[in-house]
Amino acid sequence: MLNSKLRKSCRSSTISLQNPKISYLFSSFSHKSTETPSGSCQFSHSGPENPILLSGFCSNSLPRIKNPNGFHQNPLFSSLSPSKNPISASGSFSSRPNFSGFCPNSLPNVKNPNGFHQIPLFSTLSASGSCSSSLPSSKNRCQSHQSPVIWTQSHYFSTEAVVEPSTTDGLTVEGIMASNWTILDESESDWRSHAAAVAQSIHLIKKRLKWKKLVVRLDMLSMQLNKPDIWDDPVHAGKISREHGSLMGKMKEVRAFERELLEHIDMIKLAHEENDVELESESLKALHRMRKNSKEKELQAMLAGEQDPCSCYIEVIFIYCCSSWSWGTESMDWAAMVMQMYKLWAQQHRYKVTVVDEMPGEIAGIKRATIKVDGEYAFGYAKAEVGVHRLVRISPFDSNKRRHTSFAAVAVIPIMGDGSTRVEINESDLRIERFRAGGAGGQHVNTTESAVRIVHIPTGVTATCQNERSQHQNKASAMAVLQSRLDQLEMARQAQMNALHTQSLTDITWGSQIRSYVLHPYRMVKDLRTSYEVSDPDSVLEGDLDGFIMSYLSASLDKDVDDQ
Amino acid sequence: MKLSFIRGCFPSNLSIFVNPSISTNLLRPVCFSSISSPPTSLKPQIPLFLRPPLHSASVSDLRKWHDWAKNFASSVGTTFLDSDNGPDLDLLCRELKWLMEDAIEDHCVFSQMGIENNQTNVRLRMGIEELYNLWKQRIEERRPFQYLVGCEHWRDLVLSVQDGVLIPRPETELIVDLVADVVSNNEGLREGLWADLGTGSGALAIGIGRILGSCGRVIATDLSPVALSVAAFNVQKYGLQDVIELRQGSWFKPLKDVEGKLAGIVSNPPYIPSDNISGLQAEVGRHEPRLALDGGLNGMDDLLHLCNGAALMLRPGGFFIFETNGKKQCKCLAKYIENDIRGSFHSLDMVSDFSGIQRFPTGFHQ
Repeated sequence: MLNSKLRKSCRSSTISLQNPKISYLFSSFSHKSTETPSGSCQFSHSGPENPILLSGFCSNSLPRIKNPNGFHQNPLFSSLSPSKNPISASGSFSSRPNFSGFCPNSLPNVKNPNGFHQIPLFSTLSASGSCSSSLPSSKNRCQSHQSPVIWTQSHYFSTEAVVEPSTTDGLTVEGIMASNWTILDESESDWRSHAAAVAQSIHLIKKRLKWKKLVVRLDMLSMQLNKPDIWDDPVHAGKISREHGSLMGKMKEVRAFERELLEHIDMIKLAHEENDVELESESLKALHRMRKNSKEKELQAMLAGEQDPCSCYIEVIFIYCCSSWSWGTESMDWAAMVMQMYKLWAQQHRYKVTVVDEMPGEIAGIKRATIKVDGEYAFGYAKAEVGVHRLVRISPFDSNKRRHTSFAAVAVIPIMGDGSTRVEINESDLRIERFRAGGAGGQHVNTTESAVRIVHIPTGVTATCQNERSQHQNKASAMAVLQSRLDQLEMARQAQMNALHTQSLTDITWGSQIRSYVLHPYRMVKDLRTSYEVSDPDSVLEGDLDGFIMSYLSASLDKDVDDQ
Repeated sequence: MKLSFIRGCFPSNLSIFVNPSISTNLLRPVCFSSISSPPTSLKPQIPLFLRPPLHSASVSDLRKWHDWAKNFASSVGTTFLDSDNGPDLDLLCRELKWLMEDAIEDHCVFSQMGIENNQTNVRLRMGIEELYNLWKQRIEERRPFQYLVGCEHWRDLVLSVQDGVLIPRPETELIVDLVADVVSNNEGLREGLWADLGTGSGALAIGIGRILGSCGRVIATDLSPVALSVAAFNVQKYGLQDVIELRQGSWFKPLKDVEGKLAGIVSNPPYIPSDNISGLQAEVGRHEPRLALDGGLNGMDDLLHLCNGAALMLRPGGFFIFETNGKKQCKCLAKYIENDIRGSFHSLDMVSDFSGIQRFPTGFHQ
């Protein structure tokens, strides 16, 4: 079935090649690599006492992955595009039976055995123009390629938003991009300049939304929703339909923005032809407005992940990497500095910060701490901080004034909204430990000690809370942390399951170093992922992290690949 | 200024809910500027965190106080822990942090407190001299932390407490959970009349008042007028005046009019054997009201009285749960109910607290 679907999508795309207005677009499509999914940092957590036990990965930091044969492009397509020969194209496709390994979830590193990325094939759906409205189900395979019929069956969930809009004379956003119109300053009243700027934004937004994968995913979801028995499992169906709705929403918004741009261009051209000065200036103003709005939309697209709008927990754990006690203290002090940095960062962003758990070091600093950061997009931004942070300085704990290097690990856990599916926790799977002086208890004892530790026995995941002043509240807080940890674990598990036939995700571990803070002999903070650097470590340690976060987020999304 | 605030916090319509003889006392305006003064009046103290921020101090002065307090606590080490299982340094440090949270108006200031020699003024709910004073009482006199700040966080509530009122214990939180379980599938009990005997700060009455249905009511009794005034404050704070009625008197005495009508009875009565009182942790033995702790020779006096009363006061199907001293007492009580007042109750059970100590005898009236 998948094969037939592929054949079909190929057919519809080859049809579009016969349309001279669109075919040239193919030259601009090079599919260099698959990007990581919009999914965000995930990690699994077991035993907060042991900093080393944390493992996981940050999917966004995945490097670009090449095919073993070195091809970034799908060679089929490069040969296909100039030939404009539908027969040869479909022929090549049918001779390649290996595509059945198609992985719907657009997980990173999706490769098939013959070394070609699969996703670019599907991307032709979006690229190939209006006649490629992706066919909702494999039932419609009988069309001939001479007569491209757009199958829109209203009772099917479809991906009609995939249809690429164009002006009356066939100009598309890609077309505008390809025309290389000069982008002038915003104040200049040149419609081409505005249009090109907006087109550029749309291009960036699509890249950030991982447009091609979005299309594939949406197609998959539509297909699933169209199955007659989908609602036999209402939970699963609800999940699918929610995701479908959300992706569809994103796609429609971009499409609407795209259409708006093209309509204004049509209007301007029309006005020009008919010498309608008023209409022309109105449309010009509208384009100008769009250009202004587009910046905001670019930012929105940066945080388009499902969990990005969530609040989150930030957890800092010292890494004990030397036997000397003073080094341990130095690391614990560094962990406390890192935690403080996030508290200040969160405060600057008007997020509400609550300390959930804190285990102080014997002499200074912390062994571990968890804060809750409440507010919109807290996770979206904070996820950029996952990893190991390294400090180099003359340790104040070393009487010999030697230079020390210490490490602290940062984990970020999204707090899923009520709407999303959450792991169901069985009360009987929990061991709840309350820290309590021994003895008779009850009226005999008056203690303010009310810490609660909860162990989820099947997974070994634990959560501790001691910041609240009542045991009841500590338990509630610890449960909330546990829930989020299990949710995250489950997400990671699913992601891994979906990626089974591909490269193992554990290659990229949570333990990778992301940033270096040097206070001596020179002063600099440098992000090892983006090479973004700042020469004033104090400002960074006082929470001025946005430069790092933004550069990382845009670097991970706006890689130099055409992934629309 | 202080008095007007107090009046604002403590409306005069309180008299409706409290036995008239107390309410006249309650409405008499009394100054209580010193928290350490003995509870001579029945005006409840306002918890520290609710007081207006009329004082101020510079960040560096606060820092000085904090360092002094921390050092003072350090000097304790494990002395308290070793002598009577009292607080150790870690616990005292946490209490210090909470004291600051309650005393400082905007405690985000915490995070900036590392900045040396900061002369910025911070608004406080209590003068800095008094903070010195309080911490001295905490360490030297072992005065319970909850009395310093005038409140205890219990379940999801923040209850006002003061000298003369038992500080509710975490074990007791479980009673509310158990009642919640019982009423969740029993509408008759959910919408019925409950009694909390020896309510103290009103913790159980408020906890239960919040889980009952719209027709559910609680009568909370206490012998101590101080306890009742504090309970009234707490009831008011959670807006449960229409749900909880406070009555003064010993155990069932103020409940003559509802004999045989109660859907449930809960109580955390005094249950510590008299002999044990002198050996209690200093915070408890020296500061908390003996009236709420001392349960007579074997600690069972009041529990036995409650069991006998429950047989009389509960309506058919009514539920009771009491807190006891643990295993032995709990078993004794269960045996007593089974043998001596046989036929009155069914589905007797002994529920353990979170430390695994059988602590709560429960049962239903026939």
